[in-house]
Amino acid sequence: MLMRMGSLLAAEANDKRDLYPHASELIVGAIAFAILFGFMWKWVLPRVGAILEQRREKIQGDLERAEATRREAEAELARYREQLANAREEANRIIEEGRKTAEQLRADLQGKAEQEARATVARATEEIRAERDRVLRELSAQVGQIAVELAERVVEKELDKTTQQKLVDEFIKQVSGSGNGKG
Amino acid sequence: MSRGLLGAFVPPTTKDFVWPCWGGGLRIGGVSFCFNFVTFLVLLGFLLFVAFFFFGLWRPQIVPGKLQSMAEMGIQFVRENIAIPMLGPESDRYLPLLATLFFAILFWNIFEVVPGINFSSNSRVAFPMVMAITAWVIFNAVGIRTHGFVGYLKLVLFPPGAPALLYVLLVPIEFVTSILIRPVTLSIRLAANLLAGHFLLAVFFLGTIALLQGGWLVVFAPFSFAMSIALVGFEIFVSILQAFIFAILTASYIGGALAEEH
Repeated sequence: MLMRMGSLLAAEANDKRDLYPHASELIVGAIAFAILFGFMWKWVLPRVGAILEQRREKIQGDLERAEATRREAEAELARYREQLANAREEANRIIEEGRKTAEQLRADLQGKAEQEARATVARATEEIRAERDRVLRELSAQVGQIAVELAERVVEKELDKTTQQKLVDEFIKQVSGSGNGKG
Repeated sequence: MSRGLLGAFVPPTTKDFVWPCWGGGLRIGGVSFCFNFVTFLVLLGFLLFVAFFFFGLWRPQIVPGKLQSMAEMGIQFVRENIAIPMLGPESDRYLPLLATLFFAILFWNIFEVVPGINFSSNSRVAFPMVMAITAWVIFNAVGIRTHGFVGYLKLVLFPPGAPALLYVLLVPIEFVTSILIRPVTLSIRLAANLLAGHFLLAVFFLGTIALLQGGWLVVFAPFSFAMSIALVGFEIFVSILQAFIFAILTASYIGGALAEEH
């Protein structure tokens, strides 16, 4: 274009007729415009309309799905919360039960131990008593025998007071000596 | 001024808008057709329009690619910024016309700033005329269909609230402004913008070349060049703006024709 303008001669004058429309241009322009109009009307706009509608439906569908998902999630959350609360309650209940059981167990054990202790003490007491009775029985038997023996000796000899005393001392010495196992 | 500068600078003329035929012509019913640079640009813009929307919407995806996004955004732009503000609930009915106008004008205009082409078929007034006449036929047809022929004339020619005597003056004025002038202003606004744009670009680009050969005046060449670059940006803006204006005015005329009687 610039080349062409450059090549123009300065002598060429402006002429308004250069700018007048030609019949051929009107016809060419009309045909071109008519085809473009038909193309826009029958092809471009229906496609744009269809795709916008599709997009609208897709977005609406997505929103609805998102809403449904959100609601589901909320329901799920509520369910989990409830389950959690139940679980906590259950745990508390189990702990309480355990505590009770432990308490019970402790009380039982303590009772049993006390009882056992008491039984042991009672048995010991009983044994001690039995032993004492036996010792007492033995002792009384021995004392009787000793007394008889002593009486026999006293009767055997007529003694003065000094001899009598001597005899008793001797006897006691003998008895205590037999207590030491020397007979 | 040096003689060198005067010698190198050839101001653009209206001859820039006259293009010879490439090869032979064809006569149909007294009108001769031939393929030339302008026809080539019409075809190029046409193919750009078709390709943009075809490849953008060939297999439309719910999650769009770049080209599909652009095509959709383009349509949405026309719908939301041109059709709906002017036509409200009726907008979808006229969207095909408005979208075609906007994009056809835009894709034809844009060759004004394509390097190596720097020419828009819309600077040939015939092409804007085609679209202006289309718009004119449609807004009048809409008016007549909505209100009947007499009702539409009454709506257009008799603005309410004026003293009866004033209608002697008002009716011709309204007739000229609403019926006759509108297609003319539509087509001339578009063609003249691109024609002027072409001249502006030509002056500054050729001016830069001339200054480079103009002796000491070469110091001004960078300014001229910077100006021509800025003007390319400006012409891109103008190309889009004019497409927008053409479409929104058409929508506004249709909206006026649809309006309830006062």
